[in-house]
Amino acid sequence: MTTQGEPGSSLEDQEKLLDDAVRRVKRNAFDMKRCLDQSQVMDGVNHAGTMLDEMRTSLLSPKSYYMLYMNVSDELMHLSQFLVDEYGKGNRMPDLYELVQYCGNIVPRLYLLVTVGTAYIKVREGSRKNILRDLVEMCRGVQHPLRGLFLRNYLLQCTRLALPDTGQDKEQYGDGGVEDSIEFIHLNFGEMNKLWVRMQYQGHSREKEKREKERLELRVLVGTNLVRLSDLQGIDAECYKKQVLPGILDQVIQCRDPISQEYLLECVISVFPDEFHLQTLESILRTCQKLHERVAIRKIVVSLLERLIKFSENPDSGGIPSDILIFNIFSVEVSELIQNHKSVATVDGLAMLSSVLNLALTVYPKEISYVDQLLSFCLKCVESVPEADINNITLKELLKLLKVPIDAYNHVLTIIKLETYAPLMARLGYQHRKDLSVYLCQNLIDTGIEIPTPQEAEEFLGLIESLIKKQSDEPTGEIDPEDFSEEQNLVGQVVHRLVSPVNDQQYHVLTTAKKYFTEGGEERLRYTLPPLVFAAMKLVRRYYADKDADDKWEKKLQHIFQFISQIIHSISSAGLSELSLRLFIQAALSADRVHVETIAYEFVSQAFMIYEEEISDSKAQMSAITLLVGMLEQMGSLGEENHETLRSKCAVTSNKLLRKSNQCRAVALCSNLFWSGRIAESNAHLRDGQRVVECLRKALKIANQCMEAAAQVQLFIEVLNYYLYYYEKECESVTIQILEQLIRKINDSLPHLGANEEAEQIHKHFQLTIQHVVHRQKLSEGSTGGPNYAKLKII
Amino acid sequence: MSSGGATGGPKTDRLFTDKKQNLDDAYAAPSDFLEIDIIHPETHGLGKNRYSDYEVLMRTNIPIFKMKESSVRRRYSDFEWLKGELERDSKILVPPLPGKALARQLPFRGDDGLFEPAFIEARRTALEDFVNKIAGHPLAQNERCLHMFLQEPIIDKNYIPGKIKCAFDMIVKCCLFSLLSSYRVTSH
Repeated sequence: MTTQGEPGSSLEDQEKLLDDAVRRVKRNAFDMKRCLDQSQVMDGVNHAGTMLDEMRTSLLSPKSYYMLYMNVSDELMHLSQFLVDEYGKGNRMPDLYELVQYCGNIVPRLYLLVTVGTAYIKVREGSRKNILRDLVEMCRGVQHPLRGLFLRNYLLQCTRLALPDTGQDKEQYGDGGVEDSIEFIHLNFGEMNKLWVRMQYQGHSREKEKREKERLELRVLVGTNLVRLSDLQGIDAECYKKQVLPGILDQVIQCRDPISQEYLLECVISVFPDEFHLQTLESILRTCQKLHERVAIRKIVVSLLERLIKFSENPDSGGIPSDILIFNIFSVEVSELIQNHKSVATVDGLAMLSSVLNLALTVYPKEISYVDQLLSFCLKCVESVPEADINNITLKELLKLLKVPIDAYNHVLTIIKLETYAPLMARLGYQHRKDLSVYLCQNLIDTGIEIPTPQEAEEFLGLIESLIKKQSDEPTGEIDPEDFSEEQNLVGQVVHRLVSPVNDQQYHVLTTAKKYFTEGGEERLRYTLPPLVFAAMKLVRRYYADKDADDKWEKKLQHIFQFISQIIHSISSAGLSELSLRLFIQAALSADRVHVETIAYEFVSQAFMIYEEEISDSKAQMSAITLLVGMLEQMGSLGEENHETLRSKCAVTSNKLLRKSNQCRAVALCSNLFWSGRIAESNAHLRDGQRVVECLRKALKIANQCMEAAAQVQLFIEVLNYYLYYYEKECESVTIQILEQLIRKINDSLPHLGANEEAEQIHKHFQLTIQHVVHRQKLSEGSTGGPNYAKLKII
Repeated sequence: MSSGGATGGPKTDRLFTDKKQNLDDAYAAPSDFLEIDIIHPETHGLGKNRYSDYEVLMRTNIPIFKMKESSVRRRYSDFEWLKGELERDSKILVPPLPGKALARQLPFRGDDGLFEPAFIEARRTALEDFVNKIAGHPLAQNERCLHMFLQEPIIDKNYIPGKIKCAFDMIVKCCLFSLLSSYRVTSH
């Protein structure tokens, strides 16, 4: 629907209109240049005037008008150049300046006036100050927003290098000072902003959005004024504070237009140097209080803060002067803004406070009280809003804010010291609280910091409570098991960061952790408690290493083992029997290392109890018995009596396994106990060859009962390997006869296997075994020591 | 577009004033805001009595109008009446109305004639154009008929034609004010 048949509203129309206008501009420009080449100045100026008539159009959109302007201003350069280079010689510039004012229409007249005026300045005939003043006043003749904005932009463009400034410039021109430039730009800026704001009132109100879009496209025209001001060398911080900025802020406040206010303040912040901003923080921030409610004040404040943070981090900047209490200024002004400006929502407030926090941490890294002060103000802000009004976006902002000190300090012990941190974190809601907890844990792990005291451990674990135990505000839905295990593994890693250099304190740290973790429920403790067991075992070794310095060490060790036992029992009661079996085995070995036989024996017996009561799967049984035999073989603190009990227990248990192949292997494994097992009394290996051979014979007997041929031969070969091992260890009970007999037996059985992959494997295994024997035979030829394979006949 | 040329017209005079313009005024919303929308066409009645009318929605801040916002329903013949009154009483050149579409009123047409949606839509935009042009004219704004057309629920065709006096003064003031507040006028 076209509104009131306005021409040029469609895209094609615009293109055509622009094309036509540009063609006319080119034609007139051509005529103009031809006249200038023949030094017919008046004719040239006449053609320029005709060309400039195009700028009177109302049919073009701002974008097309801009394209037209670019063409026209390009062509005017020729005129300007001609006036400076040629006309100035021998002609009077003031006459031409008069003459162009007789041009019939205001728009071309003023373009010409600006062109001639700036040439007038460049040839240094008249008073620069007066000409500039006259030009900026004259431009008021065009009050149509679009045409006026571009005319004044032309004025800025032409006067760019002709504005009075300090230094070299003064000597060249000798007239006008930087104050004149400031006044000139202020005037032009005020007028342009007015035109820009008035654009809003053109056309039907239903096209408001389209107009706002067009206005945004034109904003740079207005902003150029501020860029010109910032280019002036003669402006120092004092002058900026007293003259330049107030002139700008006046317009910003008075125009009451959100688009203008937002853009101009951002522009001020980005074009002027930080040294100036430091002198004028209060006036900028107080201006924010007076802005229209549709202005994104938060964006302005945050961009100012970000600039100053960068400034203070820059080593060349010399930092923020100590006489500017930047933290006080920002904390006061920003809290004023939050409390008084109705369009600043909680989320904006938090975003601003987050930036202030960043500033405080960068500029005053040692002032923890500043951070606490800000956090408690945040808490007040959050508390002042009814809970129902706090949405997820606000909470996300709060989460971001709470991450700021973590990143800045990179030290969780400092975070713990912040009194308001925990209460503020409690406001986050379940998911965000958990995210932050993960962030804290990750930071702790990445930095490698150790938490040394029970109080600090308590506080840290309190902060990450949402990972450790069920929360009252936890949603009931299903939890992704992968995420869950990832989180809990993280908590597991945290345990290893709970380290005190003092042994007694370490014990308290661990009991504190245990208190938290045991409240975590069954699904969590499989992740959190095992690391605690290992941390406790580490402490056992520390106490043992320092035992000469601590006469109560045995008592203390007992406490720790009790602690360990309790934890493993909790794991076992959660139904995790295989895990607890393994932990008991570890605990037994740990106790064995520090030579406390009774405790070691107790742990072993616990492990056996779990084996007997809980483990029924035959595969699990086999792997458990393998571990148990391995454990017993490693231990050295047991007396003969206990050792005897346990090794027979192993043998009996092995014998009771369900499958024959498992039985055979376990029994053969037990032979190790009689050979390399140690007892406390003699602290020597048992080396009981008789019993070794008994075990192996038994294993063979079981293998014989095996019904399946392939499995049976496989077992024979494995037992043969045991025999060979003991033979090489010079166990006298293993004789050549036994070996020969077994080899023969295997040789007899092999042909019955048939030809399949499994049989091939078995053949290979046997071949390698025999190859080994042959190799040893060759080695032992001529040497006297070592096992004597010479007599062994391999058939 | 051929009014250019450096010697075409009189030279610009400078009107120097020391007084700075008040920023409040500079940025104030325009005092002559006026917007009329013709919307929601509806067709009523049956047979010979069948007719369409439109909502005339008006928003303004010009003080001469009694109400800042008003909405009335008008049919084509009301627009014709307004045109007639203005041509008789005011000095303005009244723009043309969209045609009466006599051909559409002939019997035995294949379509809905006057009541075709496309026709109604075309007429609606043309009427909107027409009424905005009239209402924006300061002289038309004095005429009682315009006020009745725009803001009274029912048009009393037996009214006494006349000017709205006191408001006229306001307009003069407004015009003068806007002349004064533009800084530079071309003179002679």
